[in-house]
Amino acid sequence: MIRFSTVLWALLVGVSGYAMFQVKYEVMQLEDELAHVNHQITDGREQIRVLDAEWSFLNQPSRLAQLSKRFLDLAPISPEQIGHLSQLPRRSPLPPAAAAAAAPPSVSSQPTAAPRLVIARGTVLR
Amino acid sequence: MTLPQNDDNPCRPRHFKPAACAPAPLEGPAKQSLETSHTRLIITAALFCLAFLVIGARLIEVAGFKASDTRFARFHAVDKPETRADIVDRNGVLLATTLEAPSLFANPKLIHHPERVAEQLANLLPDLSEGEIAAKLASDKSFVWIKRQLTPSQEFEVNRLGIPGLQFQVEDRRVFPKGNLAAHVVGYDDLDGKGLAGIERGFDDILKSRSEPVKLSLDVRLQYILRDEIAHAVSDFSAAAGLGIIMDVNTGEVLAMVSLPDFDPNVPGSLTSESMFNRVTLGTYEMGSTFKIFNTALALDTHTATMASSFDATNPIHIGRFTIHDDHAQRRWLTVPEIFEYSSNIGSAKMALAVGTDRQREFLGRLGLLKAPSFELPEIGAPLVPSPWGEVNTMTIAFGHGISVSPLQMATAVSAIVNGGVLHRATLLKRPAGYAPSGQQVISLHTSQEIRRLMRLVVERGTGKLAEGSGYLIGGKTGTAEKVAAGHYERKALFSSFIGVFPITEPRFLVMISIDDPKGDKWSHGFATGGWTAAPAVKRVVERMAPLEGIPPVDENSPEIRRSLMVDSPDLQERKLAAN
Repeated sequence: MIRFSTVLWALLVGVSGYAMFQVKYEVMQLEDELAHVNHQITDGREQIRVLDAEWSFLNQPSRLAQLSKRFLDLAPISPEQIGHLSQLPRRSPLPPAAAAAAAPPSVSSQPTAAPRLVIARGTVLR
Repeated sequence: MTLPQNDDNPCRPRHFKPAACAPAPLEGPAKQSLETSHTRLIITAALFCLAFLVIGARLIEVAGFKASDTRFARFHAVDKPETRADIVDRNGVLLATTLEAPSLFANPKLIHHPERVAEQLANLLPDLSEGEIAAKLASDKSFVWIKRQLTPSQEFEVNRLGIPGLQFQVEDRRVFPKGNLAAHVVGYDDLDGKGLAGIERGFDDILKSRSEPVKLSLDVRLQYILRDEIAHAVSDFSAAAGLGIIMDVNTGEVLAMVSLPDFDPNVPGSLTSESMFNRVTLGTYEMGSTFKIFNTALALDTHTATMASSFDATNPIHIGRFTIHDDHAQRRWLTVPEIFEYSSNIGSAKMALAVGTDRQREFLGRLGLLKAPSFELPEIGAPLVPSPWGEVNTMTIAFGHGISVSPLQMATAVSAIVNGGVLHRATLLKRPAGYAPSGQQVISLHTSQEIRRLMRLVVERGTGKLAEGSGYLIGGKTGTAEKVAAGHYERKALFSSFIGVFPITEPRFLVMISIDDPKGDKWSHGFATGGWTAAPAVKRVVERMAPLEGIPPVDENSPEIRRSLMVDSPDLQERKLAAN
């Protein structure tokens, strides 16, 4: 009986010792992994800082103005190009041809005078 | 086996060993020894139990309860705490940041062919001379800096050379992605990250101690528009310098601030005393006729004059060795609106005399024009104020001569005059949304409204006509000061300004532009006054910024607007009727 319990205890000690080292090595490996991931995070943050700086650098208004001049057919909005919805003539119940004939010239001349009419609803245009 | 009865050797270990068979009655020393062993056994067992209890409790604590955050802090990714905080504009656009930059150093003892290495390095780093590098590499030290703070591509190229003995050390480098654009506001640092100018210097401690970015009131888009238009005006009129400021009149926030010539904080070579000088905050100037805004506000607010009062501007005033005359001389009695519209020096001087020296000085002091303002930048100029302040000074100050203030003070004070009379401290930090700044009431709301009408008059048909026609209802005042050279006023060297406010019916923004020493050209018929140089530039700035701020253009001739801006002056109305 004594022998049996001794063997049992020895076995338990062996198993728990093995398990302990197993866990210890696992933890060590996880810590390594964590350190690696943390390093990647700080690296990534630094890269984001670099990219932020580059984004800001590439978005210098003078550079954008130059690019826009070279590749786009755009110019600053002039005040005549901005209007309110209320400035548009109301839709006529008549067919377009008849409406054009019936409409007083002063009403129709305003929107057609501006080639590109930008409509502001009183909100911010960006 | 029985224990020895007479064990007189004290060094012998006392084992406890029970008798194999029936216990012999123990007596004397044997019994004593047994009891001692028993006690020791109990103590040891108790100690072991305690130890296991402690371990068990700790196990339960570790497994069962969440550990506090500080204990596991080392498992989180941590940025270097010493990184200097970023500076961003009001919309979060990056103006200054800190990046890791590799610095190249060499161990000359490991380098066998200094000349060859020097040649290769000089090819990659064009700002270093070959001889200089060779001399460094030939020294008998074991550490020499070759170049600090390389760009990533330079680092790559040097690494590609594969020369043993060349190594990199990572250092922090302050980078200003917008370059020249806001150079005077943001400032710059030395190589060790210490602020030397601008916000970098004014906020040095704050930038060092926190990681949250510092949010400025500046708007990079407006900054660009302002800089672009001032640069155009400076080159169009072959001027020496230019400056400008855009301010939110209701909060005192500076939305843009430009001083030309400027510098690139990333390029230490561009730093000269001329380019580093912040003309908006550090420079003080005699502002000229823009001071008539204050003079007229003072006269109206003290009820010394009303919009219908008139002053004799028929003849120039001779006082001492000075003669005060008008640039747009009308040679007759002028009403207050006419004095403002034609920018009459004679009329303004007489208006100031009627108010008196003491009240004038007290009023300018209330507007913060007599002492250096408190501001976030360290580059602050103190105004030059006459002392003693006599009657002559009162008359010249009426039209902005004999007192020098910084454009920042000027913009702050004019904002107070047009926003309903509340003076707000100018600031470069973004106010939180919905922030209601407290301010000091310096003039009455009624006077403020009258000045708005007068400023509109100047643009509608006075000296600031070239700022008209945008549809954004600009009101303003021109100013052309003669610069002092060699102790006397130089008629040819001018300091020409325009202060515009829009929309004048409900002012939101102030745009001020000054051109230093402009030369008249063919387009301006030889004129180099504020009305010809600065006013058109302000108009273009307003036209470009209004859509960004969501301000719709209005029909300037609509009856409601005409009525709201009507000047209550009998003379003028008669004149208008006659003209019609």
